Amino acid sequence: MALLQIAEPGQSTVPHEHRLAAGIDLGTTNSLVASVRSGQAQTINDQAGKDILPSVVSYQTDGILVGEQAKSYAISDAENTIVSAKRLIGRSLKDIKSKYPSLPYTFCGDENHPEIQTRQGLINPVQVSAEILKHLNTLAEQALGGELTGVVITVPAHFDDAQRQSTKDAAKIAGLNVLRLLNEPTAAAVAYGLDSGQEGVIAIYDLGGGTFDISILRLNKGVFEVLATGGDSALGGDDFDVAIVNHIIEQAQLTRPLSNVIERQLSQQACFAKESLSINDSVEITLSHDNQPWSMILTKATFNDLISGLVNKTLRACRRTLKDAEITVDEVIEVVMVGGSTRVPLVRTEVEKHFKKAPLTSIDPDKVVAVGAAIQADILAGNKPDSDILLLDVIPLSLGLETMGGLVEKVIARNTTIPVAKAQEFTTFKDGQTAMAVHVLQGERELVDDCRSLARFELRGIPPMAAGAAHIRVTFKVDADGLLEVSAMEKSTGVESRIEVKPSFGLDDKKITQMIVDSMTNAKEDIQARMLKEQQVEASRVIESIQAALITEDGKLLSEVEITVINHAISSLAKIAQTTVVADIEAAIEILNDSTATFAERRMDASIRTALSGQSVDEV
Amino acid sequence: MNYFHLFGLTANFTIDIGRLSELYQALQKTVHPDRFAHASSQDQMIAVQKSAMINDAYQTLKKPLKRAEYLLKLRGSQMLSEQASFSDNQFLMRQMELREMLTEVKFSDDANSEIDKINQTLDEEFLILFNSMQSKLDQDTNKANELAYEELRKLKFYQKLHIELERLEEQLFAD
Repeated sequence: MALLQIAEPGQSTVPHEHRLAAGIDLGTTNSLVASVRSGQAQTINDQAGKDILPSVVSYQTDGILVGEQAKSYAISDAENTIVSAKRLIGRSLKDIKSKYPSLPYTFCGDENHPEIQTRQGLINPVQVSAEILKHLNTLAEQALGGELTGVVITVPAHFDDAQRQSTKDAAKIAGLNVLRLLNEPTAAAVAYGLDSGQEGVIAIYDLGGGTFDISILRLNKGVFEVLATGGDSALGGDDFDVAIVNHIIEQAQLTRPLSNVIERQLSQQACFAKESLSINDSVEITLSHDNQPWSMILTKATFNDLISGLVNKTLRACRRTLKDAEITVDEVIEVVMVGGSTRVPLVRTEVEKHFKKAPLTSIDPDKVVAVGAAIQADILAGNKPDSDILLLDVIPLSLGLETMGGLVEKVIARNTTIPVAKAQEFTTFKDGQTAMAVHVLQGERELVDDCRSLARFELRGIPPMAAGAAHIRVTFKVDADGLLEVSAMEKSTGVESRIEVKPSFGLDDKKITQMIVDSMTNAKEDIQARMLKEQQVEASRVIESIQAALITEDGKLLSEVEITVINHAISSLAKIAQTTVVADIEAAIEILNDSTATFAERRMDASIRTALSGQSVDEV
Repeated sequence: MNYFHLFGLTANFTIDIGRLSELYQALQKTVHPDRFAHASSQDQMIAVQKSAMINDAYQTLKKPLKRAEYLLKLRGSQMLSEQASFSDNQFLMRQMELREMLTEVKFSDDANSEIDKINQTLDEEFLILFNSMQSKLDQDTNKANELAYEELRKLKFYQKLHIELERLEEQLFAD
């Protein structure tokens, strides 16, 4: 017979269960998954004992290959093998073509929704990322022995709204519950455990395959406060390769355009040379072109010359970001190196010179982000209720609206701590104007054409008034993932229009649902089952959190009548959650939420008061 | 909600920034959405709202000019539009001089030291105005608040000049 459990007064009756969670570093070149096991954050190996998964997906006739297997097709079947999809995600076709003109893919789809023609049909870069995520999820579930409650996925700090949204969409297609999108540099800081003991300003220099980030953080008693972040979304180790490739082409007197096979051969040789020069002073490069063997020697000195301009570009970004943070180089107590490209000796010496101190490199720069993400995932999943760690991140790029004359009016400045909500008022330009176009942009420049267009929508039904009489309030909300939602309202009438900024870039919900269906074998039942499960999980979360709150001091914030109403709604939801009708469960959750909305708010306010009084007690 | 009260502070211009920052972090530790990652959607939504409000409150009180503006609004000081004209001709003349100095940097032989010089001038003049505004805000009479408001508007001119100077510096020294 099982013994009855008796909870300590004030303690939750819900027994603590360890929830499985993982951190995923979805990288340009490589991806990793890590998890906290027996208190230790570790990367997870595949069957071959490898934890690094090449971010490559190959669309073959008989199936989709991911990782090493896919990589082996990178040269022989370049058109159907997508490498570095992260560089394409959330970008417009024009963007892709101007930044990466020599990609071997055939692009289709419209300007804002580029797709790649493969033998498995048209593939969106979001779907490519989803395949990688699915693969990592399977690895994690096998290693941890169960389904994951949720994951933390890292993104470059400078990723704009469209790129973040696309990453989240990829997770959705892969069937993952995203606990948080976390900025890569912040994850690295967490991995180094810099919160324990240290107080002061640190810099995270993150040079990956395709992206560069620099973040300046202030540490204080477990709080990681990002002061400023900067970087370049199209600068990374791949560019070192490109510099070498161009050098080889020049030396071998080749002329472009070259075949896809030669291009891939060149980039593999370049990548090999780069890695080899981290240890050796020179390397031999060999090519076979038109069955003619050819070779050359590349010295470290020549390589350094080839990339010094790129390295300087990263240092200029460091200077700008320090300035944004209002911090001088001397105030920085620690520099953390992240990303495989920080193995390049020139990068290390130049960073050391710039910050006047030796950078931290003790954690493998390829793994540090995944490890940090795993630690945060463990906390967010609720496995560490006593954790003192709090990450306060910022938006990397300003958000604004188009105003008269093609100018951008900034609504939220870059480096503003998130979550954030800001409103701005506008008025009509003409007498009797009944509609207003709202164009949402992201970027630092003043002209609309120089910024990233995120979305356009129209507020209609404004009552005809004299020019300048209407008061239109446009509200920007950015959540803790850095994702934007915009709404507009005419104040005197309450006419409202609200959108999540996404339709103009990336995928709409219908398309995502279709992709989920496409990716499942027993599509129809699977998606039903998935939706039912999602609602059941939400139902148990809602009940759990309310019950936990009712038995604590917070319960006193309610009257007898209110408690009765809530208990009634709880038991009816608990009953309905056992059934299989998704819509019914949704409705029952709604009812319970409505009956507890003011309670939830009162509870939050009470905890704010408690936090404040705790502070003043400390002070006395 | 009054931002000063949100942090349990008295609505004064002079505040202890270190203490404000500690209170801010303590509050975020209770309401940040990360604390509710596993809670119901409703709790998450409320957490985002509260956390966003606390962020805004902190940013408003932390930056001296924003704090001054917020405080004057609380005190019901008359809000003049930014475009309203100044009656202070001497101030306007000075602004024109400073602007000219900025335009001339480009033609200078030693732009670097020229920029340093202007920076120093701007800082000095800003500080005099700022101290004067601070003492008026501390007096907190109707008349003093009105004068403080006038000085706040002038300080914003200096702030703009400072931003323009930084932009100029970036342009001149970009490769």
